[in-house]
Order: sequence, then C-alpha cells, then structure tokens
Amino acid sequence: MHSAVRSLIFALSAAGLLLAANPSTAKPRIAGKTPAAAPAVFAGTAANFDSTVKPILSQTCMPCHNDRMASGGLDLAGFANIGSIGEQREGWEKILQKIRSGEMPPKGIPKPPASQVDAMSKFVQAEFEWADRNVKPDPGRVTAHRLNRNEYSNTIRDVLAVDFRAEKDFPSDDSGYGFDNIGDVLTISPVLMEKYLNAAERIAARAIGADPLPKPLEAQYHAKDKTIRRPDVSTIEATHRVEWDGEYTVRIGLPGERSADAKPVTMNFYMDGKLLQSRQVETKPSKLVYFNPYSDEELHLALPEGDHVFRAAFVNDDFVKGLSEKDAYSSKKNKYLDSITFVGPFASKTEKASRKKILICDPNSGPSCVEKIVATVARRAYRRPVTKAEVASLLKFVAMAMAEKQTTEQGIQLALQAVLVSPHFLFRIERDADANDPSKVHKISEIELASRLSYFLWSSTPDDELLGLAEAGKLRAPGVLDAQVKRMLADERAAAFASNFAGQWLETRNLDSVKPDPQKFPEWGADLRDAMKAETRMFFEWVLRENRPLSDFLDAKYTFLNDRLAKHYGIAGVAGPEFRRVELTTDQRGGILSQAAVLTVSSYPTRTSPVIRGKYVLQNILGTPPPPPPPDVPALDEKAVGSTGSLRQQLGVHRANAVCASCHNKMDVLGFGLENYDAIGRWRTMDGKFPIDASGTFPNGKSFTTPAQMSELLKGDLPEFSRCLTEKMLTYALGRGVERYDRKTLNDINAKLVADNYRFQTLLNEIVRSLPFQSRRGETPKKELAQR
Amino acid sequence: MITGKALARRTFLRGIGTTIALPFLDAMTPAMAATTAKAPVRMGFVYVPNGMDVRNWNLDYEGKLGELSRIMKPLEPFKDDILVLGNLTHNNGRALLDGPGDHGRCCGAYLTGMQPRKTMVDIKAGISCDQIVANHIGNKTRFPSLELGLEDARQAGDCDSGYSCAYTNNLAWRSETQPLPPVLDPRALFERLFGNGVALSPEARALQSKYRRSILDFVTGDTKKLETNLGPTDKRKLEEYLSSVREIERQLEKAEKDNAQIDPKMPKPYGVPADFAEHFKLMTDMLTIALQADLTRVFTFLVTREGTSRAYRELGIPDGHHPLTHHQNKPELMEKVSQINTYHVKQFAGWIEKLKSIQEGDGSLFDNSMIVYGAGLTDGNKHNHEDLPTVLVGHGGNNFIKTGRRIVYRKETPMSNLFLSMMDRMDVHSENFGDSTGRLDGLDLS
Repeated sequence: MHSAVRSLIFALSAAGLLLAANPSTAKPRIAGKTPAAAPAVFAGTAANFDSTVKPILSQTCMPCHNDRMASGGLDLAGFANIGSIGEQREGWEKILQKIRSGEMPPKGIPKPPASQVDAMSKFVQAEFEWADRNVKPDPGRVTAHRLNRNEYSNTIRDVLAVDFRAEKDFPSDDSGYGFDNIGDVLTISPVLMEKYLNAAERIAARAIGADPLPKPLEAQYHAKDKTIRRPDVSTIEATHRVEWDGEYTVRIGLPGERSADAKPVTMNFYMDGKLLQSRQVETKPSKLVYFNPYSDEELHLALPEGDHVFRAAFVNDDFVKGLSEKDAYSSKKNKYLDSITFVGPFASKTEKASRKKILICDPNSGPSCVEKIVATVARRAYRRPVTKAEVASLLKFVAMAMAEKQTTEQGIQLALQAVLVSPHFLFRIERDADANDPSKVHKISEIELASRLSYFLWSSTPDDELLGLAEAGKLRAPGVLDAQVKRMLADERAAAFASNFAGQWLETRNLDSVKPDPQKFPEWGADLRDAMKAETRMFFEWVLRENRPLSDFLDAKYTFLNDRLAKHYGIAGVAGPEFRRVELTTDQRGGILSQAAVLTVSSYPTRTSPVIRGKYVLQNILGTPPPPPPPDVPALDEKAVGSTGSLRQQLGVHRANAVCASCHNKMDVLGFGLENYDAIGRWRTMDGKFPIDASGTFPNGKSFTTPAQMSELLKGDLPEFSRCLTEKMLTYALGRGVERYDRKTLNDINAKLVADNYRFQTLLNEIVRSLPFQSRRGETPKKELAQR
Repeated sequence: MITGKALARRTFLRGIGTTIALPFLDAMTPAMAATTAKAPVRMGFVYVPNGMDVRNWNLDYEGKLGELSRIMKPLEPFKDDILVLGNLTHNNGRALLDGPGDHGRCCGAYLTGMQPRKTMVDIKAGISCDQIVANHIGNKTRFPSLELGLEDARQAGDCDSGYSCAYTNNLAWRSETQPLPPVLDPRALFERLFGNGVALSPEARALQSKYRRSILDFVTGDTKKLETNLGPTDKRKLEEYLSSVREIERQLEKAEKDNAQIDPKMPKPYGVPADFAEHFKLMTDMLTIALQADLTRVFTFLVTREGTSRAYRELGIPDGHHPLTHHQNKPELMEKVSQINTYHVKQFAGWIEKLKSIQEGDGSLFDNSMIVYGAGLTDGNKHNHEDLPTVLVGHGGNNFIKTGRRIVYRKETPMSNLFLSMMDRMDVHSENFGDSTGRLDGLDLS
C-alpha cells in the first residue's frame, strides 16, 4: 500500500509536469519518462496510437463500424485519433470492455492476435489513467434531499418513539438509478404536503397523547361475514385499522369442541407477522351445556394506530391433520377459530415510550421546562443545534393553544406539529460557501456529515452520540469516523441498510409485487416469500457485519434458512421456523445468484427467462447493463420455432441473428447458466418434457456446464463486480448518480478494496472517507447545464 | 403561452348554456342550494398502458358508429356518446434522437405534448394540459385537480432504458419538473375528499383550520429564510415545497368558505381491494362524487403504469401485461392482450354508466364531461406512436361535442391538437400546447 501511494505521488507530479508542458491535451503529447515501478502511468503519443491502436480499429472494427453500416449504432470514424480517448471516454470504455470480454469482434470476424489486443487495451487504459490523474478533484453536489417514506418513518421512530408507517400513507417516492433516495427525483406535491400536514397532526397527537381518547368502539371480523381470511384451517387473518393508539380488548371466537380427552392447543396472536401473545386453549367439551359449543379468548393489548394484519392461529395442532375440510369447520368435530373482535381504545396504564422521550421534565412546572422540551425536540428533528429565535417561534404555538384554553401538553403537541411540517425536518439541506460557484469546493460541516452517515447506514436521523460528536467538532478527529461507522454497523438500525440498499440493488423489494402463477406454483405464498426475503437480507447482513470478502456474494458456501425455505431447496435437517446459518454441502447452491429471492424477481410469473436473468447479472453483478432491444425487434419466425422446441432452442434465434447476438450472446449464456432453478428458485433438472441444459460458453471462450461452474467463472470477474457494487453503493450513499468526475473516487476505492482482499466494510469505510461523501461545491450555472 | 385573446373562429366559446340548477348538489350541500349555477364542464383523462392489440381495436370505417370493434364492445350501449378518433399521434413519444425507452417516453409525453428529457435524475417534461386548466380554473373548486391510479409504483430497478420512473408513475405534471403522483389507496382518496370520516364539531373544525393556517404561515417564513444562499436546484426544491404549501392554504380557505363537509354516503374504505374491478369501481365512485359535488373539474386517471407487468388472474391470465404485449405475433399471446384491453374498457364502460345515471340539470353529469380514454402507445409489440387508440366520451356540456362518430384525421395529426381544443372548452385559451399545430376540427361538427 505504501508503495502504491508513493507511485501515485510520483505519477501525480510527473503528470503535473506533463500538463504544465502541454496545456492543451488535444495536441499530441510527449511521452513521459516512466520508471519501471509505475509502467502504467504515461501519456501516449499519436505515433504510439497509430501503431498500437489504429491497426486494430481499421482492420478489425471499422469494416462494420463505419459511417455506412454503423453496426450496433456505432461509427468509429471519430475514434481513430488519440485525442478521442479523452474526448469520447464513455465510448472508449465500452470498446475496451467489449474487446476484453471477447464479445468483439463477433464470431466470423478474424480476431487479431492476443498480444496486439493486449497492447491496445493497455495503451487505452494508460491513457484513461493519465487523464484521470489530471482531472481537478470535484466532489459534485447533492441536491436538497426530501426524506423518502422509509427515512420519514425511521426518523419519526428515532426522534419521537412513535411507530408510523409512511409507506401506507404517503404517495410512493420516485426512484432514479434504481434507488428511491435520489435527491433530484424526490419531489413534493400538494397531495404529499397534505399528507405531511395530516401525519404531523396524528403523530404529534400520538406522541404526546394530550387529547382525550374517543369513545371505545367495537369492530368485528367474522367468517360468516367473509371479513376474515383463512390461509389454512388453523389460522384466521383480518386487516384492521386501529384508529387510535391505546389499549384494546381483543376477542378470538372459538366455536366447537373436540373429544373429551382432547389436549389443549397453543393459540398465537400476531400483528403484522410479529407474535403479540401466546396462550393455551382448552379444546375438550366444557361442562356448560350449549346448543352450539362456543368459547372465546380475551386478550388485552396495547395497539399502535395504523393498518395492521392480525392473525390468530393454533400452532403445531396435530389434531386437524386427519380432518376433512368439512369436519374441520364442524362444531361437533373440532374446535376452530372464526372471528376476531376489537374493542377500544381504552386509556393505557403504562406511560408511552414517546412521552418518556419527549417530556423530559414536567411541563406544568413552568415555562423553562416547556422551553427545554421544545428545544430538545427541535434539535433532534432538525438534526442540528437550534437557535434561540427558532425556539421562540415554536413556543408561540404553545401560547396559541393555551390561549384557546388548551393544556400545556396540547400546546407542546401543536409546536411539535409545526416542527414536523417544517422544511428543516422534511429536507436535508447542506449549505455552500458560494452556492453559485462550482469551483468553490469545501468540506461539508460535521453536522451535515453526521446526517449523511446516519441516512446512509440507518436511513434515519443521527442519534445523540453522533450528533453530539459533530456539535463538539470531534467527528473528523483521527479514528472517530471509523469508530462511528463500526458502531453504527453493529447497531440494529443498520438493518435499514440491508433492506433499503440491498433490497433495491438486488431488486428483492420487488418480491412484494411479483405474482408467480398459482396454477404452476401452488406452493407460492406469503410464508415462502417472506422466507426468501429473509434469506437474502440475512445473508447480506452477515457479509456486512462479519466483514466478509465481496466474493462471498458470488460463491459463499453458506446461507440462511428456516424449515420452509430448506424444504424449498431440498436441504434436509433444518427444522423450525427460525432462520439459522446453514453450510451448503452440494454444488446446487452458493452465492446470491442461487438464492430464491433473486431467482424469483428475475423470472416471469409462469416461467424462467434467461434473458431477464442474464440482464440481471449484467446489470447488478457485472455493471455492464445491456442496451435495451431496438424498438423494431423482429418477430421470431413462427415456423422455425414451432411450439415443440425447448426455451433454449427458441432463444437460439437470438444468437443466430447477428444484430441480436451482439448482446444476447453474453446475456442469454448467463441466463441459461441459471436454468437449473425454476421461476421460484427451486432446483430442477427438467423443464416440462425437456431436460435442462445449463451449459454455456462465454464470448471469451471459457465454458461451463453447471451453475456452480458458472459462478466459479464469474469469480474471475471479481474486479468488475466490485466496481459495479461500488458504483451502486456510492449512488445510494450520496443520493445522486455517479458522474464522470467520480471516476477517480471509484478507482481509488477499488484500489483499496483490492489491497484489502475485497473486504465489505472496507468498501463502506472508503465511501465514507471519499471526496464526494466528505465535500461539496457550488452549482454549475444553468446555462452550462443546458449545453451539456 | 396562455392568452386572454379572443379566439379563432373554430373554437368552442359558443353558448356555454343556460343557467342550470344542480339538484344533487342542492341536496348535498345546502350552502350552495341558494345559488344556481351553470353546470361546469369537467375534463378528464383515463390512460391505459402498453398499447393495444390494434387488430381488435381499430374500426375499418369512418362516420357514424356502427358495429364496434371487439375491444370497444363494452362501449356499445354508449355508442351515441363517444367519438373514436383516428390518426392522432404523439411525435414526442418517438425516439427522435434519444434511443430506446418508448414506454417511459410515451407516458411522459402523453399529457404534456413534450419530449421528456432522457434522464434518471433531473427529470423534465412539460406542464400537462390538465394542469394548465387546473391553474386557470382550479381556484373555483376545493381541489384544482385530482390524480388517481390503481397500481403502486415500482420500487426497485430501472423503469425504462434510462427514463426515470417519474415518467411512468405519473401522468399529470404541475410544472415541467414536478410530476403529481396519483392517489392509489381508496382510503387515502376518501380522506382527502371527505375528511377522515370522524365528524368534527364546527368549533373543532374551525380550530383545526386555524392551527393549520398558522403552521403553514410558520413554515412559509422558515422556508423564505432558508432559501437565501442556496443554489438554483435547491431553491427549486424549496419552491416546490412552498407552492404546495400555498396550494394547501388555498384549499383550507376554500373549505372554510364552503363551510360544509360533504357526506359521501358511503363507508370509508379500508385498504386496496385485491380485485381489480372492485378497486376501479371504488376509485371511480369517489371520483364521481367529487365531480358531482364540484370538488374538482379536472382529473387524470392512470389505470396502470406504462410498462407494467401486472398479471390479470381475474381473466385467467398469469402472464405479465408488458411481456405479453411483446407477443411476437403469436396468436395465443395476442389473444390475451386483447382480453386485457377489453377488460379495461369494460371497467371504464361501467363507470360511464354511472356518470350517465347522475342527473344534472336537463342532462347528466356525463353530458357535462369530456373524458379521453386512451393509450400512449399504439401497438405494444411495435412501440409505435401514430394512430394512438383514442376515444373521447361525453358531450363537453350543452351538447357541444357531436358524438357517435369515428373521425379519421390526416396522418400525423398531433394529439396535442385535441388537448388544445379541450382546453378551449374549459375556457382556457392558449395559442398552442405541446407540439400542437392547431386546433382539432370536427369535434363539434363545425
């Protein structure tokens, strides 16, 4: 690492000299004398270009990529000079990638000798590096960032200890670059503003609880009204909106009885999948004489406001196993569940967590306490120290409520309501030294840095420790930032990073919207879906928290399973619903590409799609998303395809047609390599009547016959994968797209990763240390933007 | 550009109608009973994605409507109340020089008439025609416009070939950079229109309103202070915020003035129905009440998103809609596309029936409306943008639109021409809109 730094310093000064000697990069340059230690860093000459690069371009590439044919939309006429490497960087990067991967030249065109290709590739690469080192460091600029729905909910949770689910109330956030935390795309509309106003009212009321409770109401969900769902004979489920935080009496209706010697059964009651209470229920006949045997169980629970899914179930109930559906709902033969009734709200006996958090002194003790309460809440909500004037303007709301003959607590509630609609709460805004001068690069303040960190790792507000360090100006002290990252990753709030970053990177969030065909996949259901989600999330968290190398994503021989998912995978010896780490002992599974969540979101509802899966790998693993198909995709020739060919035979057309083949050669091969997994990720060796053929040959000539062999080959692309992941994570961390000027940052992070054997936390640490994460600059005036 | 100038000859301004009482409104909002008003004209857009199976959409004749095509069949009972328009085109939905991404582009262009910027970030299309109208007449109603939809936004992945999801998640654009997200959840729509279902006493409502106004004053002040020393993009974000605040203030004022809570006479819905038809009906039922009670006169309805892969199990179709439209001319796949297209029209027809059943003066709510039902792509397999499937229903008030016909325009006639004419009918007169080349002839047989 030391020598790398030294050579970098050398290169910078050498490049600086060159630049000084040759201010115009467009002109041919003099080759720098480069010591053997750093052979990659020099500026090529036009003569070198003509001897190393041009022959391949003109002899191999340009017969197709010329102004007449422009195959694939590419005419290389503008690329035949050394200046183009700097001017057409994106184009050259693509050329290099196609040549290195062996995708170009395509089959049928003679390949130049490997040594020549290698020399060309090195030359162009060196030019890139030369150029990158001469670029003035530019941290870019992050736009004022409106909290998205996740961030809003988490921030409310952490600031006020109130459970509010913005995703059920607010319109969905738009996303850009595959993520929903991109400042530029997070807009605000009157509908959303209205929601903010309503939410602030409700949240403040719930947090302080100063308003009188409404009269208790009863709501019943009953089988006979078809208002409950029955996922199976031992379970009933209802979606109920709790209108008010409070205590509720919940009654579970249990008609029927079993035989006199029947054992009690365990009844569980869940809210949104979380177990709230469990108790034993008698099932044998009661001594009472009923025409229709019936009993109910009454629970007393504190329920939070909002829409919830409630579920009551007899668990591990062997009694029903032998019963027909008819008998299962016969009150003579069975005791079963048929209704859920909610009565409430009643005043809570225990003090709410939110009150404890907010009312840090007795508000009735006088104005100084009220001021303290308001100032503390505002600081947390605004994520920064607040001024006296700001507190004073909030205290006006307390006075206003009291003038309306309301209580002090109701006054605090009103002030809180105002805080929650304020732009200081709803937006993360960073200040510039000079907002209109792009050359004014400066470090963001530590307070701003604290929020960047917490929204990156927690999707939430900085906690007292982090904000305290920033306020004291200690966050950038040696070692502090690293220690904070470490602490934050260990905190359970870091689960938000797994669900928000990984859920969008790997697209597993889409599991909520995919709908595998129930005819073809009757086993698909919420339990399986949730298990799939849990596997990928826990796997990601493990790689993160255990600081595993990135290669684990491609070939880890372990994963996380419960009984449901293990059965799905055909893995024996996993009992019980809780997830645990499982060592993978066969070649069938290993790495994320063999995880059911990934395989399901990259399939059609009825079948697998090698094209979608191939695109998925290119886009999310290798970082080389294919261009979309041309709009005038020619229809497949029906007669040639017929309805009897396997999918592979049908898609063979893709590769027979030269235009399609240029992309599909790689895409389809990657997809076929995963054909051993069906559309919900089960292992298979047959697709209908056709045997699975999961073999393939990459454009570079390397071939495989099983998914395990394919991921082994993909491991050879670890640098590409690492770069892809870095780009995605930098996008997510900054809340903006990766731009040209970020290239150096990406290169530097990757160099560190390589040096550190691709450890995952190194990636996070390096992003946090990077120039764009630590700094910002003024904005480029609009006129220049328009020209861009 | 909007001008107040008198219009060219072939425009709508002719007789908006005599004074018509609104019997239903009278019953519902006593405050309004005293004043008799002209029935307002309502304008709306219902958008269906992924083009159509044009084989089963197109008609092979012009003039008076006879036998309808298979997909239009559900509209048969209303044949005399619709206009089928041919050859309307959105040139700005085409690639021009922007490469692939027809789904993203066509939806962004649909009501804006502009070519959306190909970007995942600094989104830009144009102000949509419904919003131009809402800006001008919106102050007359509680809500300048309503935006509805049935499908939740896609959460992850890219939306279409480098086009931000904002282009496919939204239909209405308040400004060229500010799309308006549709409300999807029936409960959210209910609460927006009719309050949260808890009947507040007039005093409690007045106090709530007072508090809300002071809070909005407070945040306006905060924002103005905050805005100093910000760069143009950040400023724009805060301007969006401020203009939303102002809009809410206006709504509050309006609600205070009307001083009436509308009783929708329906229970507050909970959650999103799993059944598509039920969801469609629930949303349009509430929209109907909103139109009837004059809570708004302008709406957009994004049935499902452009590029959607929703599977129509209701029809026994397990495949995603979008993959199906790339049917490679396989008859069994095209058949399914036709079924989905027809299913959408059927839901729409059900709503038309409802609108027709609501009396308003001498006619019906339907008679005083003009609603475009259309797709942003022509054929989902070909991704083309000419001869977009378009039906205009309703009479636009006072029997203005002469329906019951199919009109085929000259090839490449801009869709924007239709929208410009509709804007006229809403009394919002502009020299042009989007890529319009003029006004659309023949709607009123002049």
